[in-house]
Amino acid sequence: MPILTNFRRGAVALTLAGLGLTACSFEVTNPGPLVDSDLNAPGAVPALVNGMGGDLSNAIGNYLTRGSLAAFELNHSGNFAAERQFATGVIRAEDVNGDWARMQQARWVAENGLVRMKTVLGTNFETNPLTTRAYLYAGFANRFLGENVCETTIDGGPRVPSSEHFVRAESLFTRAITLARAQNSTALLNAALAGRAQVLAWQNKWDAAVADATLVPATFRHNAVFSINTTRENLGLATQTINRREVTVFNTVWVANRDARVPYDTVRTSSGGFQTGQDGRTRFFRQRKYITLGDPVALARGTEMLLIRAEAALRNNDVAGAMTLINQGRAVSTLPALTATTVDQAWTILMRERGAVLWLEGRRLWDLRRWLASGRNTTLQGRSTCMPISLEEIGANPNLQ
Amino acid sequence: MPRRPDFPPIPPSHVIPLLPRRPGAGRTLLRGLAPAFALLLGTAMTARAQGNGTINGRVVDAENGQPIAAAQITISGTQLGRSTGDDGRFSLPNLTAGSKTLIVRRIGYQQQSRTVTLGANATITVDFSLAKSSVSLAGVVVTATGEERKKEVGNAVTTVSSADFERGGVGNTQQILQGRSTGVTVLANGGSPGAGGTIRLRGVNSITQGNRPLIYVDGIRIFNGNSPTGVSSRQSVSPLNDIPASDIERIEVVKGPAATTLYGTEASGGVIQIFTKRGRDGAASWTLDASGGINSMGDFGPSTDPTRMFIRECRGPNMVDANGVAFEDATCPESGSWLKNGYLGRYSLGVRGASGGINYAISGNLENEEGVLRVGTNKTGGMRANLGFAPTKTVTLALNSSWQRRNTAMMSDGNSADAFLLNVSRGPGSNFRGGGCSTTTIVCTVNDTIFSKSNTIGGDHFIVGGTATWTPFENLTNRLAIGIDYNNTDQRTINPFGYLRTPTGQYFQTLWNRQLITVDYATSWKQTFSKNFTGTSSFGGQLFDSRLNSTELQGDNFAGPGTPTLLSASLRQITDVNQQRVINAGLFAQQMIGWRDKLFITAGARIDGNSAFGQSFGLQTYPKVSGSWVLSEESFWPTNLVETFKLRGAVGEAGKAPGAFDATRTWNPVAAEGGLAAFTPGQLGNPNLGPERTRETEYGFDAGFLNGRLGLVFTAFSARTNDAIINVAYPPSQGFTANQPENVGVIKNNGFEAQFTGNLDLTSWAKLEARLQFTKVNSEAVDLGGRVITLDALSRSYVQEGLPLPAYIGRRVKNADAFEAPIVEEGQFLGQTFADKIINPSVTLTLFRNLTIEAIGEFQRGGHLLNGSGFQNAGLGIWQPCFAAQKALRAAAAGDASALASVTARDRMRCSITASERDYSYWVESADFFKLRNVSLSYEVPKRYLPRARSMTVTFAGRNLFRSTDYTGTDPEVADQRTSTFSRRDYYNFPPYRTFLFSVRTNF
Repeated sequence: MPILTNFRRGAVALTLAGLGLTACSFEVTNPGPLVDSDLNAPGAVPALVNGMGGDLSNAIGNYLTRGSLAAFELNHSGNFAAERQFATGVIRAEDVNGDWARMQQARWVAENGLVRMKTVLGTNFETNPLTTRAYLYAGFANRFLGENVCETTIDGGPRVPSSEHFVRAESLFTRAITLARAQNSTALLNAALAGRAQVLAWQNKWDAAVADATLVPATFRHNAVFSINTTRENLGLATQTINRREVTVFNTVWVANRDARVPYDTVRTSSGGFQTGQDGRTRFFRQRKYITLGDPVALARGTEMLLIRAEAALRNNDVAGAMTLINQGRAVSTLPALTATTVDQAWTILMRERGAVLWLEGRRLWDLRRWLASGRNTTLQGRSTCMPISLEEIGANPNLQ
Repeated sequence: MPRRPDFPPIPPSHVIPLLPRRPGAGRTLLRGLAPAFALLLGTAMTARAQGNGTINGRVVDAENGQPIAAAQITISGTQLGRSTGDDGRFSLPNLTAGSKTLIVRRIGYQQQSRTVTLGANATITVDFSLAKSSVSLAGVVVTATGEERKKEVGNAVTTVSSADFERGGVGNTQQILQGRSTGVTVLANGGSPGAGGTIRLRGVNSITQGNRPLIYVDGIRIFNGNSPTGVSSRQSVSPLNDIPASDIERIEVVKGPAATTLYGTEASGGVIQIFTKRGRDGAASWTLDASGGINSMGDFGPSTDPTRMFIRECRGPNMVDANGVAFEDATCPESGSWLKNGYLGRYSLGVRGASGGINYAISGNLENEEGVLRVGTNKTGGMRANLGFAPTKTVTLALNSSWQRRNTAMMSDGNSADAFLLNVSRGPGSNFRGGGCSTTTIVCTVNDTIFSKSNTIGGDHFIVGGTATWTPFENLTNRLAIGIDYNNTDQRTINPFGYLRTPTGQYFQTLWNRQLITVDYATSWKQTFSKNFTGTSSFGGQLFDSRLNSTELQGDNFAGPGTPTLLSASLRQITDVNQQRVINAGLFAQQMIGWRDKLFITAGARIDGNSAFGQSFGLQTYPKVSGSWVLSEESFWPTNLVETFKLRGAVGEAGKAPGAFDATRTWNPVAAEGGLAAFTPGQLGNPNLGPERTRETEYGFDAGFLNGRLGLVFTAFSARTNDAIINVAYPPSQGFTANQPENVGVIKNNGFEAQFTGNLDLTSWAKLEARLQFTKVNSEAVDLGGRVITLDALSRSYVQEGLPLPAYIGRRVKNADAFEAPIVEEGQFLGQTFADKIINPSVTLTLFRNLTIEAIGEFQRGGHLLNGSGFQNAGLGIWQPCFAAQKALRAAAAGDASALASVTARDRMRCSITASERDYSYWVESADFFKLRNVSLSYEVPKRYLPRARSMTVTFAGRNLFRSTDYTGTDPEVADQRTSTFSRRDYYNFPPYRTFLFSVRTNF
């Protein structure tokens, strides 16, 4: 039958053409992003570790604006809806999707990167200074989460208390201390000791915390790095207060009670009036702790170590010991010594000192939260004290449903 | 080798693939082919023996005697034919003597045929007078396999021809499509000249992969998206609008996957085919079109606000905030309004004809349009050359090339700190404050300084393509089209040195280059199986190579004044580089079987591969089947009641490919730790990722009544997208925070389209054409695996099972209209984003044969829009419609509860003065509207006044002259294009304006 013959020919032609199609190279080319397997090489490790630092800074820099609003370090003078909620003391799961994701990503990238480095570096893993840095990033990412979230989950797992992050951080800092000592790196050692002192204290292991804190020099400072090099490296809080006027020092306690460690200026318009914030109403007093978009944010300071030791002393009602340590810290900033005769007075001074030393470093909410729990401070009474698990995490993580 | 007549076959778009219907033909394929060969041989032999004759003639409109251009004249049983020139004349030389049946077809007219006897070496004249038809099955439409007769096609295909829009004062494709076809939604996204709109065919079939239709220009596919969105203009331009209306012959709109199956993986959003003007027989015919007019702002914004958001009035007693505190703008123009009239000039000159065996259409165009603010212009100009010739007797070539240059300057708009509407409407809260006001104590804004910022998009758009058609035998046609669509765009956003908000300046530049190469081959073989059965077999393949090269640059801190470049900035960044290449290739095969030229069944399939499919994913097959039955040609059909009736139905599948890199796990290189090289997680990746598949069933009919005076075209459709690609959120605690596309959803989309057309002779000198189009589209997320997909949390825009796509979900005041304390319900469905009912009434009244009045309107019903401007300004105490409510709320807060007696529960929440109560949800509003899209009055100048011209038409046209809506934002059609193009949010977006245009079109 001619029809069949023709159909057969057609079918053969079509099949051949189809085979040709399968042989066609459909490899998508999109130079730029790296495929995951390309990271499994020793040459990729430096950039991998830098990425851990970048992700941690990105998480901190973005969160500072909202964290400072929730903890009364700054007031709201802008138009962003989520910030407005934070400022009114309401931290909602739907408003923390971004912060939660960045904080968790910083932790995952560092912890998971360490696993990859162990495989890629093999026997060089322990001796490589990058490994110590990676442990520090992982430790501080956990400390940052532990201080700010209400409860947590690890790698898509079930709900666990936020203190899980302090447990992990302690273990990570301990590894960092061991490696830093072996590598004779004083700077990394001090950072690891300071980080461990922080998380030991928050686990109520005050004696151990004091032991680590005592080893850190008063002038020591370890930073999360920011830069004007690229937008992603910018410090978000600086963008919101230098390029924009979203948050203001106006109407905070620091206006009536000025402190050199809480620098700000009042901004005037060209006609001489007070500049208002982005909302067009609230007076805009600009924070001056960070004066460029690339200023670093402290992750650990020697002055905080003194305050941890002072707080440990006060917990033992040692007013004199506490005040000595507090005044050692003030001396670092060439501030006059303070006196207190009662435990309560010393606590008031300590709480203010921590507020001044750690201002706009993303730490205040945790301080107010733990002091509220211990009955020392009621600033957060009736307000959100921490960041809930984000709506996105709840929606995507079957272990939370 | 049989001898063929000396004149070349007509160009591809004019070929009418007629099937010979000769009694006594054999039953096998060979037998079926035999008569064709015999005819061909016989024709040649006779020609040699008996000499050649010529048939000349003219085709005119039966109503007014005006010549009909581009009517197709063919000789039955052959592929010989020509199309008429602008004067309606045609000539068929070198014909063999004998009996010939001439068939004349033209879209919009009833087909006519006449049999004549041509003597040896004779020249005879055959004139045709065609009657208009509301529904015509004559003519051809272009499908993926080539041209098909309209009667054979089982889908609804809408054709908009130049005669339909020439009078309307339209400038581009987007404006042509507005209100002229069922199933087509066009939303103007903003009020800057040159801003690209959003086009949807039959609603929504995809959540994540876009719903833009594919666009072909003369058989070459062009990029169907918009340019990058401006950093501060928040709008983009559409390359589709680079094809000037004056170049367009017709547009065919192919809606739905049942019709677009053979277009493959990327066609589920439908296909728009644009055909530009081609050369015609006869001497050169020149057309000069010169238009001038003005753009001016019609009504916009909240009707109770006399200042219209301080745009219409920028000076006077109404310049106060909710507390009655006055403010001033020192830079408000002397007129007291920011609005002005903008000039619009549009010119085109074209020539068409044929000479020395080459037909040509060459044209140039120039347009300069100003918006209604001090900044905002669109300047564009370009050229086109379309050539057609036949290098051999069996091959025709068509070469089409166009170049269009565009320079668009937009104002800052939308969600940008520099946006003009944002700052002006915020009154005292403007970011641009300074001195120069009447007193130093008043809040003083200087919003005019915003205009020193520039947002420009410049670019060149080339479309170059060639189509070769080889017809070795009468029944076998091979077509190969190769072409490139080349878009080059340079987009810059510059805050100059000394700019108030960023005193040291800022510079953003996006260099964007898109290339799309098309290789398209199709062969079509017509068969006659028997007396009753005919067939057409088609197969072919297409390859599309899509490349994107884009670089985003940013500079900060200029050293000083002067026109900056990136190097003027002390701080320079390359913020993004994209060099993407995606290849899509596919093969198709189709068989049509026809019975007695009345019933046609077509079955086909396409096999596709695409770069973006996951590694574990192979080729994709998309099947289709369709049928068409011309019942009115059956003997039992009561043609006295309904003279034309075609029943049609189709079912088919088409797809949408995932994004280029969605299948692979990636890390993004970034800088960190002070400019050091670093990686951060990118895409999670999914090796099983494939395209989403949409299966659609459509059925309907085309009916013509009362000698073509009334027509009804109806189509119902039902589409279901399986494996819908949804960006699934994985737990952020697992590291990768970008959502991963997965084939996990099912969505459905159904509705119907109806077009009713009437041609009525009111008197001997007055004729009325009326058209009513109705489109109903319902889309719904059927299964998302229990997920709720957040499109834009701030916009309250989500995709949720059981709700339309996309849906606004949030808080609702249950007792909205009651004068009592509000009862707020959480998580409520607030409305669907896109309109589900679109109604387009239009009328054309012709008086005394030469005066035409035309009006096209559009109702959109069922859609919603988030009024972000209202939400923000109410919170800032500067939303005029909230002033009374906020005064009462303040009084109540001060202890006077009775002040709230006249404030509804809705307004208590919308206008709340308590920050924690405020929510975007309360600002999701109905976006229903009626707009008078087009009104025109055109006059055909009588020939006696035109000694040197063939014809002249003088037109006065207006666009967007009237608007009716309850929406309180600027306009229900606007949306910020940088946030999301699927969800829609009006966030200080400047509204579209109206246009008055006077034009003179001369043919000579």
